[in-house]
Amino acid sequence: MATEFFNHLKCRECGRRYPKKAIHVCEFDFGPLEADYDYDLIRSAISRAKIESRPQTMWRYRELLPIDAEPTVGLQVGYTPLVKADRLAKALGVKELYVKNDTVNYPTLSFKDRVVSVALSRAKELGFKIVACASTGNLANSVAANAASAGLKSYVLIPADLEASKVLNSLVYGTNVIGIHGAYDQVNRLCSEIAGKYGWGFVNVNLRPYYAEGSKSMGFEIAEQLGWRIPTHTVVPMASGSLLTKITKSYEEAIKVGLLDETPFHIHGAQATGCNPIAFAHKSGTDLIKPQPKPNTIAKSLAIGTPADGYYAVNTMRKTGGSAEDATDAEIIEAIKLLAETEGIFAETAGGVTVACAKKMIASGKIADNGPIVLCITGHGLKTSEALQEHLAKPRLIKPSLREFDQLIAAEEALEAAQ
Amino acid sequence: MAQEKQRFWLTFDANGVTRPLIWEMSQKYKVIFNIRSSSVTKEVGIIALELEGEREEIKSAVKWLEGAGVQVEPVEINTIEG
Repeated sequence: MATEFFNHLKCRECGRRYPKKAIHVCEFDFGPLEADYDYDLIRSAISRAKIESRPQTMWRYRELLPIDAEPTVGLQVGYTPLVKADRLAKALGVKELYVKNDTVNYPTLSFKDRVVSVALSRAKELGFKIVACASTGNLANSVAANAASAGLKSYVLIPADLEASKVLNSLVYGTNVIGIHGAYDQVNRLCSEIAGKYGWGFVNVNLRPYYAEGSKSMGFEIAEQLGWRIPTHTVVPMASGSLLTKITKSYEEAIKVGLLDETPFHIHGAQATGCNPIAFAHKSGTDLIKPQPKPNTIAKSLAIGTPADGYYAVNTMRKTGGSAEDATDAEIIEAIKLLAETEGIFAETAGGVTVACAKKMIASGKIADNGPIVLCITGHGLKTSEALQEHLAKPRLIKPSLREFDQLIAAEEALEAAQ
Repeated sequence: MAQEKQRFWLTFDANGVTRPLIWEMSQKYKVIFNIRSSSVTKEVGIIALELEGEREEIKSAVKWLEGAGVQVEPVEINTIEG
Protein backbone atom coordinates (compact mmCIF):
# COMPACT_ATOMS: atom_id res chain seq x y z
CA MET A 1 0.00 0.00 0.00
CA ALA A 2 1.80 3.12 -1.19
CA THR A 3 0.86 6.26 0.69
CA GLU A 4 1.42 9.96 0.38
CA PHE A 5 1.38 10.86 4.07
CA PHE A 6 5.09 11.57 4.14
CA ASN A 7 5.72 14.39 1.67
CA HIS A 8 9.29 15.61 1.72
CA LEU A 9 12.23 16.62 3.87
CA LYS A 10 12.37 20.15 5.19
CA CYS A 11 15.21 22.23 6.66
CA ARG A 12 14.52 22.93 10.31
CA GLU A 13 16.26 26.31 9.99
CA CYS A 14 15.09 27.88 6.73
CA GLY A 15 12.17 25.62 5.81
CA ARG A 16 13.52 24.79 2.32
CA ARG A 17 12.07 21.58 0.94
CA TYR A 18 14.12 18.63 -0.27
CA PRO A 19 13.21 15.31 -1.97
CA LYS A 20 12.88 12.19 0.20
CA LYS A 21 16.41 10.92 -0.46
CA ALA A 22 19.34 9.85 1.71
CA ILE A 23 20.34 13.40 2.63
CA HIS A 24 20.40 15.06 6.00
CA VAL A 25 21.75 18.62 5.79
CA CYS A 26 20.38 21.74 4.11
CA GLU A 27 22.63 22.82 1.25
CA PHE A 28 22.20 26.47 2.19
CA ASP A 29 22.66 26.81 5.94
CA PHE A 30 23.67 23.25 6.97
CA GLY A 31 20.52 23.05 9.09
CA PRO A 32 19.22 19.53 9.82
CA LEU A 33 16.57 18.10 7.50
CA GLU A 34 13.40 16.73 9.01
CA ALA A 35 10.48 14.68 7.67
CA ASP A 36 7.36 16.65 6.86
CA TYR A 37 3.89 15.20 6.41
CA ASP A 38 0.47 15.98 4.98
CA TYR A 39 -1.28 16.38 8.32
CA ASP A 40 -4.73 17.07 6.81
CA LEU A 41 -4.58 13.78 4.96
CA ILE A 42 -3.39 11.94 8.07
CA ARG A 43 -6.16 13.52 10.10
CA SER A 44 -8.76 12.12 7.71
CA ALA A 45 -7.07 8.71 7.56
CA ILE A 46 -6.55 7.76 11.21
CA SER A 47 -8.46 7.72 14.47
CA ARG A 48 -7.93 6.41 17.99
CA ALA A 49 -10.16 3.41 17.22
CA LYS A 50 -8.23 2.56 14.07
CA ILE A 51 -4.90 2.69 15.87
CA GLU A 52 -6.23 0.62 18.78
CA SER A 53 -7.33 -2.10 16.36
CA ARG A 54 -3.78 -2.57 15.06
CA PRO A 55 -1.02 -4.86 16.39
CA GLN A 56 0.76 -3.59 19.50
CA THR A 57 3.98 -2.35 17.91
CA MET A 58 5.37 1.10 17.11
CA TRP A 59 4.10 0.70 13.55
CA ARG A 60 0.50 1.30 14.68
CA TYR A 61 1.38 4.99 14.14
CA ARG A 62 2.70 4.23 10.67
CA GLU A 63 1.06 7.27 8.99
CA LEU A 64 3.25 9.52 11.16
CA LEU A 65 6.49 7.70 10.34
CA PRO A 66 8.65 8.54 7.28
CA ILE A 67 8.31 5.56 4.96
CA ASP A 68 6.39 5.20 1.70
CA ALA A 69 5.11 1.63 1.80
CA GLU A 70 4.53 -0.84 4.62
CA PRO A 71 7.45 -1.31 7.05
CA THR A 72 9.83 -4.17 6.29
CA VAL A 73 12.29 -4.07 9.21
CA GLY A 74 11.59 -4.32 12.93
CA LEU A 75 7.94 -5.28 12.68
CA GLN A 76 7.81 -6.29 16.37
CA VAL A 77 9.49 -3.19 17.79
CA GLY A 78 7.90 -0.94 20.37
CA TYR A 79 4.71 -0.77 22.42
CA THR A 80 6.74 -1.35 25.55
CA PRO A 81 4.96 -1.16 28.92
CA LEU A 82 4.02 2.12 30.57
CA VAL A 83 4.37 1.04 34.19
CA LYS A 84 2.42 2.85 36.91
CA ALA A 85 5.26 3.26 39.38
CA ASP A 86 3.50 3.72 42.72
CA ARG A 87 6.37 2.60 44.92
CA LEU A 88 8.84 4.89 43.14
CA ALA A 89 6.26 7.69 43.29
CA LYS A 90 6.08 7.28 47.06
CA ALA A 91 9.87 7.36 47.34
CA LEU A 92 10.04 10.56 45.29
CA GLY A 93 7.05 12.15 47.02
CA VAL A 94 4.59 12.48 44.12
CA LYS A 95 1.15 11.05 43.42
CA GLU A 96 1.10 9.90 39.81
CA LEU A 97 4.30 8.57 38.26
CA TYR A 98 4.91 6.25 35.30
CA VAL A 99 7.94 4.58 33.79
CA LYS A 100 8.03 4.13 30.01
CA ASN A 101 9.99 0.94 30.03
CA ASP A 102 12.11 0.60 26.89
CA THR A 103 14.49 -1.73 28.74
CA VAL A 104 12.32 -4.48 27.24
CA ASN A 105 12.19 -3.15 23.71
CA TYR A 106 12.56 -5.81 21.03
CA PRO A 107 15.01 -7.13 19.86
CA THR A 108 18.03 -5.47 21.57
CA LEU A 109 16.60 -4.03 24.80
CA SER A 110 16.92 -0.33 24.10
CA PHE A 111 14.95 2.47 22.45
CA LYS A 112 17.44 2.40 19.57
CA ASP A 113 15.39 -0.42 18.03
CA ARG A 114 12.72 2.20 17.30
CA VAL A 115 15.00 4.51 15.32
CA VAL A 116 16.87 1.69 13.60
CA SER A 117 13.73 -0.07 12.39
CA VAL A 118 12.57 3.15 10.69
CA ALA A 119 16.04 3.88 9.26
CA LEU A 120 16.43 0.38 7.83
CA SER A 121 12.88 0.20 6.47
CA ARG A 122 13.59 3.46 4.66
CA ALA A 123 17.07 2.22 3.61
CA LYS A 124 15.42 -0.71 1.83
CA GLU A 125 12.95 1.61 0.12
CA LEU A 126 15.86 3.74 -1.08
CA GLY A 127 17.63 0.65 -2.46
CA PHE A 128 20.58 0.39 -0.05
CA LYS A 129 22.18 -3.04 0.19
CA ILE A 130 24.71 -2.09 2.89
CA VAL A 131 23.90 -0.24 6.10
CA ALA A 132 26.31 1.06 8.69
CA CYS A 133 26.73 3.01 11.88
CA ALA A 134 29.41 4.23 14.23
CA SER A 135 28.56 3.44 17.80
CA THR A 136 29.90 2.55 21.22
CA GLY A 137 26.97 0.38 22.27
CA ASN A 138 23.20 0.33 21.89
CA LEU A 139 23.03 1.65 18.35
CA ALA A 140 25.59 -0.87 17.09
CA ASN A 141 23.70 -3.77 18.68
CA SER A 142 20.43 -2.65 17.16
CA VAL A 143 21.79 -2.06 13.66
CA ALA A 144 23.55 -5.44 13.70
CA ALA A 145 20.45 -7.33 14.89
CA ASN A 146 17.87 -5.59 12.72
CA ALA A 147 20.10 -5.73 9.61
CA ALA A 148 20.63 -9.45 10.18
CA SER A 149 16.91 -10.14 10.35
CA ALA A 150 16.29 -8.00 7.26
CA GLY A 151 19.04 -9.71 5.27
CA LEU A 152 21.05 -6.51 4.87
CA LYS A 153 24.85 -6.47 5.00
CA SER A 154 26.03 -4.26 7.85
CA TYR A 155 29.18 -2.53 9.07
CA VAL A 156 29.68 -1.30 12.60
CA LEU A 157 32.52 1.14 13.24
CA ILE A 158 33.81 1.37 16.79
CA PRO A 159 36.68 3.04 18.64
CA ALA A 160 39.46 0.41 18.78
CA ASP A 161 39.65 0.45 22.61
CA LEU A 162 35.98 -0.40 23.20
CA GLU A 163 35.31 -3.06 25.86
CA ALA A 164 35.17 -6.64 24.57
CA SER A 165 31.67 -7.30 25.97
CA LYS A 166 30.19 -4.47 23.92
CA VAL A 167 31.84 -5.71 20.75
CA LEU A 168 30.55 -9.22 21.37
CA ASN A 169 26.95 -7.99 21.49
CA SER A 170 27.32 -6.81 17.89
CA LEU A 171 29.60 -9.57 16.56
CA VAL A 172 27.09 -12.27 17.40
CA TYR A 173 24.76 -11.01 14.66
CA GLY A 174 27.41 -11.55 11.98
CA THR A 175 27.99 -7.87 11.34
CA ASN A 176 31.37 -6.53 10.14
CA VAL A 177 32.93 -4.81 13.12
CA ILE A 178 35.78 -2.41 12.36
CA GLY A 179 37.82 -0.92 15.21
CA ILE A 180 39.41 2.45 14.53
CA HIS A 181 42.45 3.71 16.39
CA GLY A 182 42.21 7.33 17.40
CA ALA A 183 40.48 9.91 19.53
CA TYR A 184 36.73 10.32 19.41
CA ASP A 185 36.79 13.29 17.04
CA GLN A 186 39.15 11.55 14.60
CA VAL A 187 36.92 8.49 14.49
CA ASN A 188 33.94 10.77 14.03
CA ARG A 189 35.55 12.55 11.10
CA LEU A 190 36.53 9.32 9.36
CA CYS A 191 32.97 8.03 9.68
CA SER A 192 31.54 11.12 8.06
CA GLU A 193 34.03 10.73 5.19
CA ILE A 194 33.13 7.08 4.74
CA ALA A 195 29.43 7.94 4.69
CA GLY A 196 30.08 10.48 1.94
CA LYS A 197 32.36 8.26 -0.16
CA TYR A 198 30.94 4.74 -0.05
CA GLY A 199 27.28 5.40 -0.59
CA TRP A 200 26.23 3.18 2.28
CA GLY A 201 23.12 3.83 4.31
CA PHE A 202 24.61 5.27 7.48
CA VAL A 203 21.70 5.20 9.91
CA ASN A 204 22.70 8.29 11.88
CA VAL A 205 24.34 10.23 9.04
CA ASN A 206 22.65 10.21 5.63
CA LEU A 207 19.57 8.35 6.95
CA ARG A 208 19.33 10.59 10.01
CA PRO A 209 16.05 12.35 9.09
CA TYR A 210 14.32 8.95 8.93
CA TYR A 211 16.19 7.45 11.88
CA ALA A 212 15.37 10.35 14.21
CA GLU A 213 11.64 10.17 13.47
CA GLY A 214 11.49 6.68 14.97
CA SER A 215 11.84 8.26 18.41
CA LYS A 216 8.38 9.79 18.05
CA SER A 217 6.82 6.37 18.51
CA MET A 218 7.83 6.48 22.18
CA GLY A 219 5.78 9.65 22.66
CA PHE A 220 2.75 8.33 20.75
CA GLU A 221 2.78 5.21 22.90
CA ILE A 222 3.07 7.17 26.16
CA ALA A 223 0.01 9.26 25.27
CA GLU A 224 -2.07 6.29 24.10
CA GLN A 225 -1.15 4.15 27.12
CA LEU A 226 -2.08 7.03 29.39
CA GLY A 227 -5.59 6.90 27.94
CA TRP A 228 -4.93 9.33 25.06
CA ARG A 229 -3.62 12.02 27.39
CA ILE A 230 -0.39 13.97 27.29
CA PRO A 231 1.49 13.63 30.59
CA THR A 232 1.90 16.93 32.44
CA HIS A 233 5.62 16.19 32.82
CA THR A 234 7.89 14.01 30.68
CA VAL A 235 11.51 13.49 31.74
CA VAL A 236 13.81 12.49 28.88
CA PRO A 237 17.53 11.59 28.91
CA MET A 238 19.63 13.72 26.56
CA ALA A 239 22.64 12.67 24.49
CA SER A 240 22.31 14.54 21.18
CA GLY A 241 18.98 15.95 22.41
CA SER A 242 17.12 14.31 19.54
CA LEU A 243 14.85 12.05 21.63
CA LEU A 244 13.62 15.02 23.66
CA THR A 245 12.72 17.07 20.61
CA LYS A 246 11.06 14.11 18.89
CA ILE A 247 8.89 13.18 21.89
CA THR A 248 7.73 16.79 21.91
CA LYS A 249 7.06 16.60 18.17
CA SER A 250 5.02 13.44 18.72
CA TYR A 251 2.72 15.18 21.21
CA GLU A 252 2.34 18.18 18.90
CA GLU A 253 1.63 16.02 15.85
CA ALA A 254 -0.91 13.89 17.70
CA ILE A 255 -2.75 17.09 18.65
CA LYS A 256 -2.53 18.32 15.05
CA VAL A 257 -4.11 15.17 13.60
CA GLY A 258 -6.85 15.03 16.22
CA LEU A 259 -5.65 12.08 18.32
CA LEU A 260 -5.04 14.17 21.45
CA ASP A 261 -6.66 17.20 23.06
CA GLU A 262 -4.41 20.20 23.47
CA THR A 263 -3.35 20.33 27.11
CA PRO A 264 -0.31 22.01 28.67
CA PHE A 265 2.76 19.81 28.99
CA HIS A 266 6.33 20.25 30.20
CA ILE A 267 9.35 18.48 28.74
CA HIS A 268 12.34 18.09 31.06
CA GLY A 269 15.85 17.01 30.05
CA ALA A 270 18.31 14.86 32.01
CA GLN A 271 22.09 14.60 31.56
CA ALA A 272 25.08 13.30 33.47
CA THR A 273 27.16 15.95 35.24
CA GLY A 274 30.27 14.55 33.51
CA CYS A 275 28.79 15.47 30.12
CA ASN A 276 26.10 18.13 30.47
CA PRO A 277 26.43 20.64 27.62
CA ILE A 278 22.65 20.88 27.05
CA ALA A 279 21.66 21.05 30.73
CA PHE A 280 24.41 23.60 31.34
CA ALA A 281 23.22 25.83 28.49
CA HIS A 282 19.63 25.65 29.76
CA LYS A 283 20.64 26.45 33.31
CA SER A 284 22.82 29.33 32.08
CA GLY A 285 19.92 30.86 30.19
CA THR A 286 21.51 30.55 26.74
CA ASP A 287 20.78 28.37 23.73
CA LEU A 288 24.38 28.28 22.54
CA ILE A 289 25.87 24.93 23.39
CA LYS A 290 29.42 24.98 24.67
CA PRO A 291 31.04 21.70 23.58
CA GLN A 292 32.44 19.39 26.21
CA PRO A 293 35.59 17.96 24.60
CA LYS A 294 36.28 15.31 27.26
CA PRO A 295 33.12 13.71 28.64
CA ASN A 296 33.68 11.82 31.88
CA THR A 297 30.70 9.84 33.14
CA ILE A 298 29.56 6.26 33.64
CA ALA A 299 26.54 7.12 31.47
CA LYS A 300 28.51 6.51 28.28
CA SER A 301 25.45 6.22 26.04
CA LEU A 302 24.69 9.88 26.85
CA ALA A 303 28.29 11.12 26.60
CA ILE A 304 28.07 13.30 23.49
CA GLY A 305 30.13 16.44 24.00
CA THR A 306 28.87 18.23 20.89
CA PRO A 307 25.15 17.46 20.79
CA ALA A 308 23.70 17.99 17.30
CA ASP A 309 20.21 18.78 18.57
CA GLY A 310 21.29 20.57 21.74
CA TYR A 311 20.08 23.95 20.53
CA TYR A 312 16.65 22.54 19.68
CA ALA A 313 16.46 20.64 22.97
CA VAL A 314 17.16 23.79 25.01
CA ASN A 315 14.50 25.70 23.11
CA THR A 316 11.99 22.87 23.48
CA MET A 317 12.46 22.75 27.25
CA ARG A 318 12.13 26.52 27.42
CA LYS A 319 9.06 26.62 25.16
CA THR A 320 7.23 23.99 27.19
CA GLY A 321 8.21 25.40 30.59
CA GLY A 322 10.38 22.39 31.31
CA SER A 323 13.69 22.24 33.13
CA ALA A 324 17.11 20.63 32.76
CA GLU A 325 19.13 18.85 35.40
CA ASP A 326 22.26 16.74 35.65
CA ALA A 327 23.37 13.93 37.95
CA THR A 328 26.75 12.79 39.26
CA ASP A 329 27.98 9.21 38.89
CA ALA A 330 27.14 8.49 42.54
CA GLU A 331 23.61 9.84 42.08
CA ILE A 332 23.20 7.76 38.90
CA ILE A 333 24.15 4.54 40.75
CA GLU A 334 21.77 5.35 43.61
CA ALA A 335 18.97 6.02 41.13
CA ILE A 336 19.52 2.74 39.26
CA LYS A 337 19.21 0.93 42.60
CA LEU A 338 16.15 2.95 43.60
CA LEU A 339 14.33 2.09 40.35
CA ALA A 340 15.28 -1.58 40.65
CA GLU A 341 14.32 -1.86 44.34
CA THR A 342 11.00 -0.03 44.02
CA GLU A 343 9.76 -1.18 40.61
CA GLY A 344 11.80 -4.24 39.67
CA ILE A 345 13.17 -2.49 36.60
CA PHE A 346 16.90 -2.73 35.90
CA ALA A 347 17.93 0.25 33.80
CA GLU A 348 21.25 1.07 32.18
CA THR A 349 23.18 4.11 33.40
CA ALA A 350 21.15 6.45 31.16
CA GLY A 351 18.03 5.30 33.07
CA GLY A 352 19.80 6.16 36.31
CA VAL A 353 20.39 9.65 34.93
CA THR A 354 16.68 10.09 34.19
CA VAL A 355 15.55 8.91 37.62
CA ALA A 356 18.23 10.89 39.48
CA CYS A 357 17.42 14.08 37.61
CA ALA A 358 13.66 13.59 38.09
CA LYS A 359 14.30 13.19 41.82
CA LYS A 360 16.17 16.51 41.90
CA MET A 361 13.53 18.27 39.80
CA ILE A 362 10.76 17.09 42.10
CA ALA A 363 12.72 18.04 45.24
CA SER A 364 13.43 21.53 43.90
CA GLY A 365 9.86 22.11 42.73
CA LYS A 366 10.81 22.27 39.04
CA ILE A 367 8.41 19.35 38.59
CA ALA A 368 5.19 20.13 40.46
CA ASP A 369 2.97 17.30 41.67
CA ASN A 370 0.13 18.55 39.48
CA GLY A 371 -0.47 15.70 37.04
CA PRO A 372 1.00 12.56 35.52
CA ILE A 373 4.81 12.39 35.37
CA VAL A 374 6.45 10.01 32.89
CA LEU A 375 10.11 8.96 33.10
CA CYS A 376 11.61 7.66 29.84
CA ILE A 377 13.86 4.69 30.59
CA THR A 378 15.71 3.87 27.41
CA GLY A 379 17.93 0.80 27.88
CA HIS A 380 18.42 -2.37 29.93
CA GLY A 381 20.78 -2.53 32.91
CA LEU A 382 22.54 -5.66 31.69
CA LYS A 383 24.17 -3.46 29.05
CA THR A 384 26.09 -1.46 31.66
CA SER A 385 26.19 -3.86 34.60
CA GLU A 386 29.94 -3.23 35.10
CA ALA A 387 29.06 0.26 36.39
CA LEU A 388 27.35 -1.31 39.40
CA GLN A 389 29.92 -3.94 40.28
CA GLU A 390 31.52 -2.11 43.19
CA HIS A 391 28.27 -0.68 44.49
CA LEU A 392 26.12 -3.68 45.40
CA ALA A 393 26.13 -5.89 48.49
CA LYS A 394 28.01 -9.17 48.12
CA PRO A 395 26.18 -12.50 48.56
CA ARG A 396 26.55 -13.97 52.04
CA LEU A 397 28.30 -17.35 52.03
CA ILE A 398 27.49 -20.29 54.27
CA LYS A 399 28.36 -23.98 54.44
CA PRO A 400 25.72 -26.51 53.25
CA SER A 401 24.33 -26.69 56.79
CA LEU A 402 20.78 -25.96 57.96
CA ARG A 403 22.15 -24.77 61.29
CA GLU A 404 24.23 -22.08 59.59
CA PHE A 405 21.24 -21.01 57.54
CA ASP A 406 19.06 -20.80 60.67
CA GLN A 407 21.69 -18.66 62.36
CA LEU A 408 21.88 -16.32 59.39
CA ILE A 409 18.08 -15.82 59.25
CA ALA A 410 17.84 -15.41 63.03
CA ALA A 411 20.55 -12.73 62.95
CA GLU A 412 18.72 -10.96 60.14
CA GLU A 413 15.39 -11.06 62.00
CA ALA A 414 17.04 -9.71 65.14
CA LEU A 415 18.53 -6.87 63.14
CA GLU A 416 15.14 -6.05 61.56
CA ALA A 417 13.43 -6.12 64.98
CA ALA A 418 16.04 -3.72 66.36
CA GLN A 419 15.44 -1.20 63.56
CA MET B 1 44.88 18.36 -7.91
CA ALA B 2 41.12 18.12 -7.72
CA GLN B 3 39.21 20.79 -5.87
CA GLU B 4 36.67 19.70 -3.31
CA LYS B 5 34.21 21.24 -0.91
CA GLN B 6 33.92 20.30 2.74
CA ARG B 7 31.44 21.53 5.35
CA PHE B 8 32.25 22.20 8.98
CA TRP B 9 30.83 23.52 12.21
CA LEU B 10 33.32 25.78 13.97
CA THR B 11 33.02 26.53 17.66
CA PHE B 12 35.04 29.41 19.18
CA ASP B 13 35.54 30.04 22.87
CA ALA B 14 35.70 33.52 24.44
CA ASN B 15 39.31 34.08 23.31
CA GLY B 16 38.61 33.06 19.72
CA VAL B 17 35.50 35.20 19.36
CA THR B 18 37.44 38.47 19.14
CA ARG B 19 40.21 37.24 16.80
CA PRO B 20 39.64 37.27 13.00
CA LEU B 21 40.60 33.61 12.72
CA ILE B 22 38.84 32.80 9.46
CA TRP B 23 40.51 35.74 7.73
CA GLU B 24 43.89 34.65 9.13
CA MET B 25 43.27 31.11 7.86
CA SER B 26 42.44 32.36 4.38
CA GLN B 27 45.70 34.35 4.30
CA LYS B 28 47.77 31.30 5.22
CA TYR B 29 46.07 28.60 3.11
CA LYS B 30 44.70 28.48 -0.40
CA VAL B 31 41.10 27.78 0.48
CA ILE B 32 37.90 29.58 -0.41
CA PHE B 33 35.64 30.02 2.60
CA ASN B 34 31.92 30.60 2.64
CA ILE B 35 30.09 31.30 5.90
CA ARG B 36 26.58 29.82 5.74
CA SER B 37 25.28 30.76 9.16
CA SER B 38 26.66 31.99 12.45
CA SER B 39 25.77 32.81 16.00
CA VAL B 40 28.19 34.69 18.20
CA THR B 41 27.98 35.87 21.80
CA LYS B 42 30.65 37.15 24.18
CA GLU B 43 31.34 33.62 25.40
CA VAL B 44 30.99 31.35 22.39
CA GLY B 45 30.69 31.55 18.63
CA ILE B 46 29.33 28.92 16.26
CA ILE B 47 29.86 29.19 12.50
CA ALA B 48 28.75 26.97 9.63
CA LEU B 49 31.65 27.11 7.20
CA GLU B 50 32.21 25.68 3.74
CA LEU B 51 35.80 25.30 2.60
CA GLU B 52 36.78 24.77 -1.03
CA GLY B 53 40.23 23.84 -2.19
CA GLU B 54 42.63 20.94 -2.56
CA ARG B 55 42.07 18.18 -0.05
CA GLU B 56 45.47 18.58 1.62
CA GLU B 57 45.11 22.35 1.76
CA ILE B 58 41.70 22.03 3.48
CA LYS B 59 43.22 19.53 5.91
CA SER B 60 46.05 21.95 6.75
CA ALA B 61 43.63 24.84 7.21
CA VAL B 62 41.50 22.76 9.59
CA LYS B 63 44.58 21.72 11.53
CA TRP B 64 45.65 25.35 11.82
CA LEU B 65 42.21 26.37 13.11
CA GLU B 66 42.33 23.58 15.68
CA GLY B 67 45.78 24.72 16.74
CA ALA B 68 44.32 28.19 17.28
CA GLY B 69 41.80 26.74 19.73
CA VAL B 70 38.80 26.38 17.43
CA GLN B 71 36.80 23.18 17.61
CA VAL B 72 36.22 21.99 14.04
CA GLU B 73 33.64 19.30 13.32
CA PRO B 74 32.31 18.02 10.03
CA VAL B 75 28.60 18.89 9.70
CA GLU B 76 27.90 15.23 10.28
CA ILE B 77 28.59 15.60 14.00
CA ASN B 78 27.55 12.87 16.42
CA THR B 79 28.43 10.18 13.96
CA ILE B 80 29.34 7.99 16.90
CA GLU B 81 26.37 7.28 19.14
CA GLY B 82 25.91 5.26 22.29
